[in-house]
Amino acid sequence: MAAFGSFAILLGLVLCAYNLVVGAIALRQIAVHPQASLAPERLAESARRAGIGSFIALSAAAFALVYCAFTNDFSVAYILHHSNRALPWPYKFAALWSGQEGSLLLWAWLLAAYGFVLRVRHRVDVKLTAYASTILAAVQVFFTLLIVFPAPPFALVQGAIPTDGFGLNPLLQYPEMVIHPPMLYLGYVGFSVPFAFALGALMMRYPGEKWIHITRRWTMVTWLFLTCGIFLGMHWAYAVLGWGGYWGWDPVENASLMPWLTGTAFLHSVMMQEKRGMMKSWNVWLIFTTFMLSILGTLLTRSGLVSSVHAFAESSIGTWFWAFLVIVLAVCLFTYILQRDNLQSEHKIESLVSRESSFLFNNLVLLAACFTILWGTLFPIISEYVEGSKVTVGPPFYNRVAVPIGIFLLLLTGIGPVLAWRSTSFKSVRRNFLWPVIAGVATALILMAAGMRPWQDIGTLYSLMTFSLGALVTTAIVTEFWRGSRVIQRHTGKNMLSSLVQLTRRNTRRYGGYMVHLGVAIVFIGLAGSAFNQSAEQEMGFHDSMTIGPYRLVCQSYTQDSNANYDSEYELLNVYKNGKFLLQMAPERRFYHASQQTETMVADHSTLERDLYVVYEGANPDTNQPIIKVFINPLVAWIWIGVLVMALGTLLALVPNMSAEQAAQSRKPMEESVALPAGVGD
Amino acid sequence: MTIVACAALLIGILIYIFYPQRKTEEQTQKTRLEYLRERKETIYENLRDLNFEYRAGKYPEEDYLAQRAAMENEAAQVLSEIEFLEDNVPAA
Amino acid sequence: MRRFLPSRIFDRSLLRTWGQLTVACLLVIFMAGAGDTAARYNQIGHQLMCTCGCNQVLLECNHVGCTVSTQEEAELRADLGRGDSNQLILQNFVQKYGPTVLAAPPEHGFDLVAWITPGLFLLLATLGTAFLIRKWKLHTVAMPPEAAADARTDAILAKIRRETEL
Repeated sequence: MAAFGSFAILLGLVLCAYNLVVGAIALRQIAVHPQASLAPERLAESARRAGIGSFIALSAAAFALVYCAFTNDFSVAYILHHSNRALPWPYKFAALWSGQEGSLLLWAWLLAAYGFVLRVRHRVDVKLTAYASTILAAVQVFFTLLIVFPAPPFALVQGAIPTDGFGLNPLLQYPEMVIHPPMLYLGYVGFSVPFAFALGALMMRYPGEKWIHITRRWTMVTWLFLTCGIFLGMHWAYAVLGWGGYWGWDPVENASLMPWLTGTAFLHSVMMQEKRGMMKSWNVWLIFTTFMLSILGTLLTRSGLVSSVHAFAESSIGTWFWAFLVIVLAVCLFTYILQRDNLQSEHKIESLVSRESSFLFNNLVLLAACFTILWGTLFPIISEYVEGSKVTVGPPFYNRVAVPIGIFLLLLTGIGPVLAWRSTSFKSVRRNFLWPVIAGVATALILMAAGMRPWQDIGTLYSLMTFSLGALVTTAIVTEFWRGSRVIQRHTGKNMLSSLVQLTRRNTRRYGGYMVHLGVAIVFIGLAGSAFNQSAEQEMGFHDSMTIGPYRLVCQSYTQDSNANYDSEYELLNVYKNGKFLLQMAPERRFYHASQQTETMVADHSTLERDLYVVYEGANPDTNQPIIKVFINPLVAWIWIGVLVMALGTLLALVPNMSAEQAAQSRKPMEESVALPAGVGD
Repeated sequence: MTIVACAALLIGILIYIFYPQRKTEEQTQKTRLEYLRERKETIYENLRDLNFEYRAGKYPEEDYLAQRAAMENEAAQVLSEIEFLEDNVPAA
Repeated sequence: MRRFLPSRIFDRSLLRTWGQLTVACLLVIFMAGAGDTAARYNQIGHQLMCTCGCNQVLLECNHVGCTVSTQEEAELRADLGRGDSNQLILQNFVQKYGPTVLAAPPEHGFDLVAWITPGLFLLLATLGTAFLIRKWKLHTVAMPPEAAADARTDAILAKIRRETEL
């Protein structure tokens, strides 16, 4: 099977290369001789089919690797190092992306899969898709080269073949780890598609903004994947790593956040181009940057350039990524300089107080956040170069520099939707912001009355601001829905609820987007809870107890257990809240046989108000009694709820708008005016 | 076995790629007319949006009227060019 | 309601009040630093890193059997017990473990650049954007004069109005 896998990868490489070279030749010929015969179009068609073929070939390769994992084929070095016989089957499947070679194969396969969809749907715009497909083929060639030369997933074991594998890193033996990496990769890889379309549109001097319309769903789906990937990673870190937090500003986390920030900026500013023909150069560079940042992130973490918690094998792969990044930058720059006259704006910003300028500021802040993170990630290298010694840029740096930027961003989340396109007069600003501002101020006053003291420390100040802004954003969005529904209600005579449904269905992108904003506000409220975290650590023998916040924990027993995959030690704790029995918790520590590694299994009791998070730290070697660490993390559940709202909002935005006919059917029967047009702008 | 599988994959894909096509999709250059129709749709959407936002209370009367006039003029230019092209260019 | 207008926010007397508030806030934050030992332990422990290579903040290092973080924590307790100032404790750690033990770059010398640059970036970018919008506003051409009101234009305008009416 390994030989078949290697062959399939090689075939995939040849096919992408064919798509790239022949596709480019055909496009060149068509561009030079527009009236030429059918030959170049035949070539272009075969290039497209080769692209589709590369997906089939890489699918075969991915299948071969999974097959090797399931059949315990330890002659393949990758399987030997990332699997073992006793491993449960979902994790065998996950072995496909638990190591470098496998995850690069996954990357190449996902890229081919995106390419497959793009090439199959080429009738949307045959010429533009041909350009995008050729550019995508170039990216595919790079990633397929990686799995042919520096990181072959089907490399064979030299010498005698061991009877069992070394096992999967136990940290990765967790359900979310089965879906987190593919989600994240789907996000990273997905930006290649809008990138290819943007570069293609620029190369062919595509008239109009239709390409944005074509890539709109791609970008949103990609963004959704990246968002889910990042938050699943956070949840995994929280639930598995057992340090009581979810975000450590580690370079790998930063690497995923950077393209998310520029991608978010792109999603917003691209609307200005679609609707108003503005910011064309800016958008092109935003998507170029997003694509390059997703490559740079991989480069930073896999080349050993910056140190990280995520223990990726350091390898020569960094050089490949450097080369690729330089080539991409060169191609982008060259194309831009050559074709930039095609990117003239059709409109200018008419007012400082408008949806456009709020988008501009949102872009600015998102970019500043991205720059801050990039700067923080790279500063140790800069400092080493200048001063000769490395410094650490850790959480305290980001908390001080990035948190204020985040709070400002939250403010914009509420302001943006309320402002009108083109220009908003002060009169309407005052009218539309009245309730949100009242809600924000009232929240702040109530919280201070309830005992929050923002002047005592900066953390409390930030969280008070966040709660207050969260109320502002929520009110702003609710009033937006309310106003819109009122208009529909007046027009159709329906009740408020069906007006609300119709409002949303008429313009899913806008109202889905508002829902995403609502989700962001909820996430921020959850993040702000971290200012009030508490923790305590104690040796807890039989019947020992510990009090933290409103909880009292009493040890019932502690014991050991064993199975084929791991040994475990755990402690049973009875938890009392305000004197009443609440539940029993069992924090655990496991020792995995195959990988000879230890891992903690956190016990977490999560409520809307707070999480009670209990970690089995290990046994005191002197007394042999377990050491228990307890965290009280307020509002963490809000983060996961907020993400769910964000995801639902994005899904809503992906639903096509209600058609004009449907809208017409739902109008007031006695009304004689013209039908309600669907798809009222964005 | 492996050789058979490899050969089957290779031959299958090669046939798919080079199987003679009777009809290939044409790569047409977008015409001015198509471009104008897209523009019209965009301006229409913006106008509907403006009307909707006015009803939702986001614009004072005078702003609304000025902006609607500007956009309607823009749309009128596009529409008259579309009409001109439709009358003078035979349908492809 | 008038209070929310920007002109009022930048009113001089209000500006002075804002300034006083900021100073008060800063003072409180500064004073809060000299709390009891447990709070100081928690505070300084979050300004230091575990140097075993795990890349975690000292008090958050949780990997099993890490001897480095246990030793560092013991040292921190000893330093606090001796009554050393925060500054001195951090200095001791830097001398012993090198500058990477600090979780964030120091705020002097070249490392100050780390702190200033993001703010500078945001400031310059904001100024640049504001300048750009201003320039665009100045260069915006006036609306094209009303098209000649012939019958055909009227018909087109009526059609547009009809097709985009809500």
